[in-house]
Amino acid sequence: MEFKLEAHRIVSISLGKIYNSRVQRGGIKLHKNLLVSLVLRSARQVYLSDPCPGLYLAGHPGAPAPPQQPEESAAGPPAGWGEPPPPAGRAAWPEPEPQPERPAVPEVLRAGDSEPAATVTAAGDTLQGGEAEAPEAAWRRVEGPRETAVGGAGVSGVFPEGPEAARGPCGCPPGDEDKLSAPPASPPVCARKRGAGWVGGGPADCPAPGSTPLKKPRRNSEEQPGGEEEEEEEMETGNVANLISIFGSSFSGLLRKSPGGGREEAEGEESGPEAAEPGQICCDKPVLRDINPWSTAIVAF
Amino acid sequence: CFFLLFSPIVPRDRHAVWASRKFTSPTDIISTVEFNHTGELLATGDKGGRVVIFQREQESKNQVHRRGEYNVYSTFQSHEPEFDYLKSLEIEEKINKIRWLPQQNAAYFLLSTNDKTVKLWKVSERDKRPEGYNLKDEEGRLRDPATITTLRVPVLRPMDLMVEATPRRVFANAHTYHINSISVNSDYETYMSADDLRINLWNFEITNQSFNIVDIKPANMEELTEVITAAEFHPHHCNTFVYSSSKGTIRLCDMRASALCDRHTKFFEEPEDPSNRSFFSEIISSISDVKFSHSGRCIMTRDYLTVKVWDLNMENRPVETYQVHDYLRSKLCSLYENDCIFDKFECVWNGSDSVIMTGSYNNFFRMFDRNTKRDVTLEASRENSKPRAILKPRKVCVGGKRRKDEISVDSLDFSKKILHTAWHPSENIIAVAATNNLYIFQDKVN
Repeated sequence: MEFKLEAHRIVSISLGKIYNSRVQRGGIKLHKNLLVSLVLRSARQVYLSDPCPGLYLAGHPGAPAPPQQPEESAAGPPAGWGEPPPPAGRAAWPEPEPQPERPAVPEVLRAGDSEPAATVTAAGDTLQGGEAEAPEAAWRRVEGPRETAVGGAGVSGVFPEGPEAARGPCGCPPGDEDKLSAPPASPPVCARKRGAGWVGGGPADCPAPGSTPLKKPRRNSEEQPGGEEEEEEEMETGNVANLISIFGSSFSGLLRKSPGGGREEAEGEESGPEAAEPGQICCDKPVLRDINPWSTAIVAF
Repeated sequence: CFFLLFSPIVPRDRHAVWASRKFTSPTDIISTVEFNHTGELLATGDKGGRVVIFQREQESKNQVHRRGEYNVYSTFQSHEPEFDYLKSLEIEEKINKIRWLPQQNAAYFLLSTNDKTVKLWKVSERDKRPEGYNLKDEEGRLRDPATITTLRVPVLRPMDLMVEATPRRVFANAHTYHINSISVNSDYETYMSADDLRINLWNFEITNQSFNIVDIKPANMEELTEVITAAEFHPHHCNTFVYSSSKGTIRLCDMRASALCDRHTKFFEEPEDPSNRSFFSEIISSISDVKFSHSGRCIMTRDYLTVKVWDLNMENRPVETYQVHDYLRSKLCSLYENDCIFDKFECVWNGSDSVIMTGSYNNFFRMFDRNTKRDVTLEASRENSKPRAILKPRKVCVGGKRRKDEISVDSLDFSKKILHTAWHPSENIIAVAATNNLYIFQDKVN
């Protein structure tokens, strides 16, 4: 259990570092980010392999349980990362399993659309050309309830919720969102309840890894992950795509199937979310409190 | 006698030292230190893109007991911040490395590099100036040709010594990733520059093209597992160089083997100790610096906690391993949080390859005598820096009862780190960069 918490903490720290690296002067440092991603991978492995029935593990896309989210979130962005959105024509997105959860967030947060879209880049654009609108809109929506972060989500303010909405671009066209809004009653409901408090709550498949609230110019460099086709290499693209890829390859397995039966655990915990309020799931209080910033961080990516 | 008694000579800039006491400008942080081949000059580069060169004063006959001190010789702005509009990337002006060329005439040449661009600078003295121009007067104003009635030949007259630095070559646009190393070849005609994924070979005379000699970029970036962290040419064999990786391995390459040295000639790697495995094993095994010994028979590598000496003829493990600050092993998680675990410490050989030196935290630096196996921890601080004062060995207390002079691990100041040090090529004079201060110590000969 301690290992799990430690791993959890390390994952959230790592994500914070990756996020911050994007706004660092001098561009993304490939070496440091590679090392951070390795730590992330190790922590994830420990997290998954440590059998602790009480903890929600990532893997089950359908369960919007907040406890689940951190794990999925951890897996999410990477999953999305490793596989750029279809429009880019590159690797396929993971199956939209987590999507059922996603709608809850935009719906909940729609009300709190107070943040200007200024910080929201065409994150969607970066990886998804045409689907820019929906993602951006989703981003704005998500940015609202930042202050309603829950629990130990002091950190949540650090990470713009924008990326949350980035799930939009994650291969889920706007139309789907509505569809997904009315999935199995309990998950969305629970997610919604939680949503108010959950800034970061939501599908783990954090979409456009590249879709973070960056300045627009970045869009150009991120349009070709890997930038292989370009004669002039785009380091920015390469780095971001690397991270995306790295996380993707690390975490994509999570969504489909977790080693060590993560999925089973997730299912078993589905009833958990219905407890709704974070912190109330007995054995996971400390974890839950950390989940908020964690998932927002992930989403931020 | 190994335990040299060092006494500080001069801080980087006396006035700046006092000013920096109150306001430490982040651009003053020294980012590289390098003696030239004779040790007469010492160059420092900082985060603000400036290069400051110190010159050793000639020993005067009057004060024969007073060793030559280093004073500022030249200061110039080497790199400026740039913005790559196409990629929306700011390029830092921080000087990552300075490397001197061997002196071939009256002028001094050095290479300085930031993340993207390498520049060759010529530092020369001017102690005469031409006087007696026909077309301009003494202040340089043009004269009306109609007023010129006689012609004269300009002559050189002595003037106050002036040291000027001029950029002679700019080697740009060859690196997509951040340059971490430059190394001058022993042929003095070529040099290499290394970034995270590639190493390029340049000819000093040609700035618009370079040869790519190492490329570890995978076809699919998702498969990226390691990056190049440092590279250096062999001191004598112009066809040989080494580069280290973030995975703790060193590759030795021979440029005669093929144009693209993707296949190494030798591969140095020590098997990992499974008992030390942690989340951060990979980070602490990443090599931050690699240096050939002066003899060319060994290489030294620095990773986060140790310094290792490798014999070029033995690839499966280092011949010597020195613990720099093993007491940090239990604190890796905190060091990861505050980013200290990513600090890139350098390491240096002394002139005879018998002693190696590297930095640590709390402004401590460590020296290891390879022959006697003794080591010492010294501190570079203002308190110890009264001229002629002898440095006292320091000790870190790792547990149990702390003795009076010891400092406990928890009291270490991790913001005071010594990443860059240099050792005079032939004498026991060392330069230690502590954030924005430069300390120069020498041994005291009785």
